[in-house]
Amino acid sequence: MERKLTRFSFDNRSICSIILSMTDKDAFDFIVIGGGVVGSAIARELARYDARIAVIEKNPDVVDETSGRNSGVIHGGFAYDTGSLKARFCVEGNRMMDSLASELSVPFRRTGKVLVGNTEEDRKSLERTMEQGAANGASGLRMIDGRELHEIVPAVLGSFALLSSSSGIIDPFLLTIHLAENAAANGVHYYLSHKVMSIRKEKDGHIVDTDKGSFRTRWVINSAGLGAKDVSEMLGFSSYRVIGSKGNYLVLDKTMGALLPLPVYPVPSNTYMGIHVTPTIDGNVTVGPDASPTMDFSYYGVPQEKIELLENSAGDLWPHIHRKNLIRTFSGILPKLVDENGAIQDFRIEIDDRIDSRAVNLIGIESPGLTSCVPIARHVVSLIAERETLRDSSSFNPCHPRPIRFSELSEEEKDDLIRKDLAWGRIVCSCEMVSEREILDAIANPLGVRTMTGIKYRTRSMMGLCQSGFCQMRIEQLLERSGLDADEVEYMYPGSWVVKGKVRA
Amino acid sequence: MERDAVIIGGGPAGLAAAVALHGKGIRSIILLEREASLGGILRQCIHDGFGIDRFKESLTGPEYASRLIHEAEERGIEYRTSTTVLSISSERVVTAAGADGMLHIHAKAVILAVGCRERDRGAIAIPGERPAGVFTAGTAQAYINLYNRLPCHEAVILGSGDIGLIMARRLTLEGVKVHGVFEIQDHPNGLERNTIQCLDDYSIPLYLRHTITDIHGSGRVEGVTVSKVDDRLVPIKGTEREYRCDSVILSVGLVPDNALALPLGLDVDGRTRGVSVDENLMTSIPGIFSAGNCLHVHDLADDAALEAERLASSAARWINGDLLDSCAIPVIPGCGIASIVPMRISGKSDVFFTMRPSCALRNAVLRVTAGGRTVWKKRISRALPQNMLSAEVPKESLSSVSGPLEVTLS
Amino acid sequence: MKRSYTCVICPNSCFLDVEIREGNVISVSGNQCGRGREWVIGEVTDPRRNFATSVKVRGGEMETVSVRLSSPIPRAMIFPVMAEIRKAEAKAPVHIGDVIISNVLSLGCDVIATRDVAAVGM
Repeated sequence: MERKLTRFSFDNRSICSIILSMTDKDAFDFIVIGGGVVGSAIARELARYDARIAVIEKNPDVVDETSGRNSGVIHGGFAYDTGSLKARFCVEGNRMMDSLASELSVPFRRTGKVLVGNTEEDRKSLERTMEQGAANGASGLRMIDGRELHEIVPAVLGSFALLSSSSGIIDPFLLTIHLAENAAANGVHYYLSHKVMSIRKEKDGHIVDTDKGSFRTRWVINSAGLGAKDVSEMLGFSSYRVIGSKGNYLVLDKTMGALLPLPVYPVPSNTYMGIHVTPTIDGNVTVGPDASPTMDFSYYGVPQEKIELLENSAGDLWPHIHRKNLIRTFSGILPKLVDENGAIQDFRIEIDDRIDSRAVNLIGIESPGLTSCVPIARHVVSLIAERETLRDSSSFNPCHPRPIRFSELSEEEKDDLIRKDLAWGRIVCSCEMVSEREILDAIANPLGVRTMTGIKYRTRSMMGLCQSGFCQMRIEQLLERSGLDADEVEYMYPGSWVVKGKVRA
Repeated sequence: MERDAVIIGGGPAGLAAAVALHGKGIRSIILLEREASLGGILRQCIHDGFGIDRFKESLTGPEYASRLIHEAEERGIEYRTSTTVLSISSERVVTAAGADGMLHIHAKAVILAVGCRERDRGAIAIPGERPAGVFTAGTAQAYINLYNRLPCHEAVILGSGDIGLIMARRLTLEGVKVHGVFEIQDHPNGLERNTIQCLDDYSIPLYLRHTITDIHGSGRVEGVTVSKVDDRLVPIKGTEREYRCDSVILSVGLVPDNALALPLGLDVDGRTRGVSVDENLMTSIPGIFSAGNCLHVHDLADDAALEAERLASSAARWINGDLLDSCAIPVIPGCGIASIVPMRISGKSDVFFTMRPSCALRNAVLRVTAGGRTVWKKRISRALPQNMLSAEVPKESLSSVSGPLEVTLS
Repeated sequence: MKRSYTCVICPNSCFLDVEIREGNVISVSGNQCGRGREWVIGEVTDPRRNFATSVKVRGGEMETVSVRLSSPIPRAMIFPVMAEIRKAEAKAPVHIGDVIISNVLSLGCDVIATRDVAAVGM
């Protein structure tokens, strides 16, 4: 443990020695700071060109912050101010999601979604939303009456609704992970568990100092999400005001998914979607999020009163939230850029030649960041392409192979696989029917993630009814077999040890 | 392949059912177990206190398991370990994955003996962060007793169920500091023997009417906030106390495992949360039976095994083609009874009722009534919610009953 | 001195009132049977316990084997016996009932294995 906690001290001498020891292999054309859904999409778009690219991520995995802590909804693009980047990228992202999801083998379903109203005021508000959506170029929007609403979702409470048929649900973990893994497959270097401490400008670029060493790069792209404000200041940008908006969620078991074919939202306000109920791509239901401002960007605790708030407010929309179906709570934080009056601003994506002509700064990338990830990435590339010529790479392959999920195979396919490799027949997680082969393949992931949650998000193991009671010991043992000591197996964040060595050494 | 009986689960209920079926002359049996060895949860329950009814001595879990396994092996009962059942069809075809590929077994009788699972943090919605180090008692027990891994150094235990009490002692023996056991109810939830021998012996405090209201730590558990609760079990503001610890061990209840039963469409009982069965321990689909902790959670492995033996009697008759009496009379748990098995009876046979009292009572009367008329009664000197009650009611008392049967304890 | 106990012999869980003088039981009331009386006298004058833990195994399919004592020991001896068990080591194969430590701390009881642990090729 001691070893892991050691940090470089950044007096001048140690920095010099690190730079002196840097070789060409540590030098990049582009370093993307932050490996979440947007950072990984940027790295993957850049990988279409002939360039040396690295992603530096402070967490042990790419889904440990906002990219893995959200509703998993692909938005239609109607809820944002006309002319904003949020509106433009969301509409574009929505349109391309079928092809993106199929390229990357990410489970995605265009379920549509409803925004449910009851009063005349609600109706006016939904009609305004619909007009704004039309102006934004969002497709598939129409008002539906109570009869049609209840045909679509019998279990909902409401008199009428705005239906957005282009909205959908996606696996947010796999979207991010497959973007990252595809980037890695196309030559992008991932440095996980590397925290950026400072950035120094050089004649031809930058030196990015992390807690585990320094990297030379021509370009820096700040896609650090919740950490973007700090990185932006390291780059020399003036102080932005970024506040966190924390949202808590409840997760219901899969028996409830059958009662909810599509996301159900209340009437939105200008800046907040409201507490909603959403089916997940795997058949669970999430309830939330609420929204409260926070300046602590690493506290994910879910307080008692928020659990009750979620049960009560979403219960007014969809009266099927019972404690006996509750399997988990979680929370996420959105980094919102605000002006001096506290009003929430559009995404800010900029190169400022006066400050740094080889730095792209992304600030306030919040919802709809998941939907907009690739359009944002393409926009970043276009800003770069205005300043230098990018040459196409001859070897870029946009496709991520589909991981085999034992539970989804036919009987014949299952039988075939078991006969070829016994590990397919050893079911490690019996709630989600995940085989040992899938766990071993996940442990061998190209990013080198070795946390318990890394295995969980890649395989769905530990996500079922028993919430890891049956399988976590086996997964811990398989991680040990892959070369970790018992003390080294971690759950998610640094320091999250699972067991403290042996009972009998 | 075809078999008279497929038994799913190789714990006490499954093994006892297999042995008893064999004893009834059924020879074509296969037992499927998802773990690498038979024994079920008994393998990790290394403490003693098992078998007092069935074997007339106090055995440890592994010893109890080994006796049952020995009985099964002596009879040459076929079993497959490391074999996970993926689905069951209503035509009684069991599909399983194992080392030899996929298995498809057509059976005359399918016996569910898959046990229960522990309620975890989500199920009781404990607020706070989500660090590593929050374990169900059974998970911590498996780490220590089966995998030789120490899950913590300093623990707080939430819930006074038996496994929680057993783990308080087990962790203490291994040098873990256990700060206390916190129970939201006003009575301990485990057997009295365990409160004395697991807590009192080691001076581990038991705090009744307390619960955890916050968990701290982003990586590993760093501490918890504990609060007193009021009569409605709501935490009382101002009573918070902080404990430093690196682990929270949960012993907050067991739930029958319905993972196979639900997709099959079996009726589930809202009170036991297991499947609904008749006096033959047959579920709502003919030929599919259930016993042990997947039917309802028992206090003792003996009770699960004895129930499985009763199941074997009716399953053997079913396999031999005897028509089982149709069970149209519903059984309703009345005042004083939290849950009861079976849920339907015929009125033509003796019925073995198993039930959980809803509150503690002394010198109470257990009554079976129909249409307001008491048809059978028994004195119960002491009833506790943590101790299951059972009663065998003779068919003579039930033969005149036509409408719903209500069972009360007062 | 009067002390109350809850009998743990059977589910009746009788409340026992015990009168104790100089460590000896003077009277017991509240018990419905003789076993309760016997139990509470033992509990007052010489509380004994059995317990279970595990012993390291070399060359086995599992790293440890579960063990118990062949008979109860004075409660105060639990931790001294644990210290002995921590030092012990068994070699696979281990069979259920095998004596791992005989006559531990001269208490007249053995530490015995409660399951089989097969040997694996090393």
